[in-house]
Amino acid sequence: MNIEFIDIVQSLIDGVLYGSTYALIGLGFTLIFGAMEKLNMAYAASSIGGAYVGLGVSVLLSLPLYAIFLIGPIGGGLLSVLVYICCFRYLPSNNHLAALMASIGGLFFIDEIISHETDGSPLDFPELGIFSEAYFEIEFSDMFLGFRGDLIFVMFASFLAMLMLMYLLYRTRLGLATRAVSQQPVAAQLCGISIHQTNSITFILAGVLGGIAGCLAAASVGVISPLLVLPLTVKGLIVTVIGGLGSIRGAIIAGLLVGGLESVFLLLRGVNERDIYVFLLLFVFLVFRPNGFFGAEIDRD
Amino acid sequence: MDYYLGVFQTIGVHTLLGLSAYILLLTGQVSMAQIGFFAIGAYSSGVLTVIFSWHIYPALAFGALLASFFAFLVGFPALRVKGLMLVIATIAFSEIVRLITFNFVWMVEKDGIMVGADGAQGFREIRYFTTNGWESSQVVTLIWIFVVIVMAMLWWLDRVKAGAVLRAVGNDELAAQSSGINLTTVKVAAMTAGGFIAGLGGGLYAHAVSYVDHITFTILMATFAISYPILGGTKNVFGTLLAVIFIQGILIEAFRFLEDWRLIIFGLLIVLVMNFMPDGLVSAFKKSTSGKDK
Repeated sequence: MNIEFIDIVQSLIDGVLYGSTYALIGLGFTLIFGAMEKLNMAYAASSIGGAYVGLGVSVLLSLPLYAIFLIGPIGGGLLSVLVYICCFRYLPSNNHLAALMASIGGLFFIDEIISHETDGSPLDFPELGIFSEAYFEIEFSDMFLGFRGDLIFVMFASFLAMLMLMYLLYRTRLGLATRAVSQQPVAAQLCGISIHQTNSITFILAGVLGGIAGCLAAASVGVISPLLVLPLTVKGLIVTVIGGLGSIRGAIIAGLLVGGLESVFLLLRGVNERDIYVFLLLFVFLVFRPNGFFGAEIDRD
Repeated sequence: MDYYLGVFQTIGVHTLLGLSAYILLLTGQVSMAQIGFFAIGAYSSGVLTVIFSWHIYPALAFGALLASFFAFLVGFPALRVKGLMLVIATIAFSEIVRLITFNFVWMVEKDGIMVGADGAQGFREIRYFTTNGWESSQVVTLIWIFVVIVMAMLWWLDRVKAGAVLRAVGNDELAAQSSGINLTTVKVAAMTAGGFIAGLGGGLYAHAVSYVDHITFTILMATFAISYPILGGTKNVFGTLLAVIFIQGILIEAFRFLEDWRLIIFGLLIVLVMNFMPDGLVSAFKKSTSGKDK
């Protein structure tokens, strides 16, 4: 196949638009890491789980399409707080590895429950109505670049969710408490902030973001499957590392970057080899820039 | 009888996998890369016996050495960053290896049939044992000889200075560094040794079951590998063996009638153990008894 420059630009555009879902997942990982300095490995599982809850409830009650995108995030938030209670709340707070292992257990628990309930086969996920039919073309110095309507919607919805998160974190008392706990847990506790309550809220926020990401990712692909969970986990983690653990703007930029590069690798090397290069990217960063884009500003590890 | 031999074989291979994670866990590092090293050992020794018609022992040794070489390479960048970052890096490594085996094609014609690795179809016909007339009981014995050797060496390690150094790093990195221990050397050495054991296990597994493919090397298996020493505790090597017997022998084999519920229970089990015994089953037991003496 003859790959021209325009094909690469086109796949970069598609990838960056889709990459906003990776940015959301990376944001959730980084939010939880920022609050507790712990990795929640079950995060992507609870996000996809949220999308499944949205789909299941909507189909059972025969609700309209947009109901999925309301119930999905709620389901994600509930699953996420459940993960917090089971895998973080009652574990010794200085034992990072125990929490890590517990959340890996949670990951397989959620993943296997989904596989069990759906017999492991993918389910059709409703596409984004009029958005999936829309297609924009822009002429740019005699190249025609296309923008898929559903991916633009995905990007738009992701950025809306990110803006809401930023507002919550930096403009409300709730966000103040969350940031206080993430910076100085003991001092925050002495100021009368309940750590467990704040952490639960952080998990709910992250879970809602994850639920949105899960729904958007499934909607733009058109199917939802338990096979989405592990790749999304690994890519979310890579986004978190490349952006810098705990850095919010880093996660957003890295998410778009990973999405774009993934799409270019897909074009150049095919679907079977695509993820190899995405994962190798992580090692490039570990060697040359172990703190990621913005990791230096939070010097914890 | 063959069924029980199969169970023994699985327990033996998984014990090697668990021990390879155990030696790294002694230094306080959680590695999800063991299944990647296992895959490297399985594929490279398989290529040697099938395509190059090597004898089994040099092939196993080569597979283990190649795996430990990769462990050495991965160790450096991954261990520059601590704990949680290592987990992410090693997950990525295992997935890279799995995807490479997924794309790996190397087939040659032998006696009129094509043999070797065939990408997503997996690596079939690793028939060294059957063509050379080994009984399945002999194969199981060979695996367990290696298990016993590795366990004995790790047991002995705890009685010499090197073992004390490993545990010192695991207990308190700062204190270990202050006593003149080079953290990177110790961790990379543990990673290399772990890679060797996992590669050996992979080579044995590939020849014992005669067929491997990328589905063998998923993150689920990496989780199995690290969960054995964590559930069994790092008190001594027998904890890992007990955990393997418990999970593979009882949960996976004896409860076969539970079908896919077993993996759900496996997830739940890890969550429960971490909640009630964050230091693992064996050390939790030791703590409760030694508490009375104080």
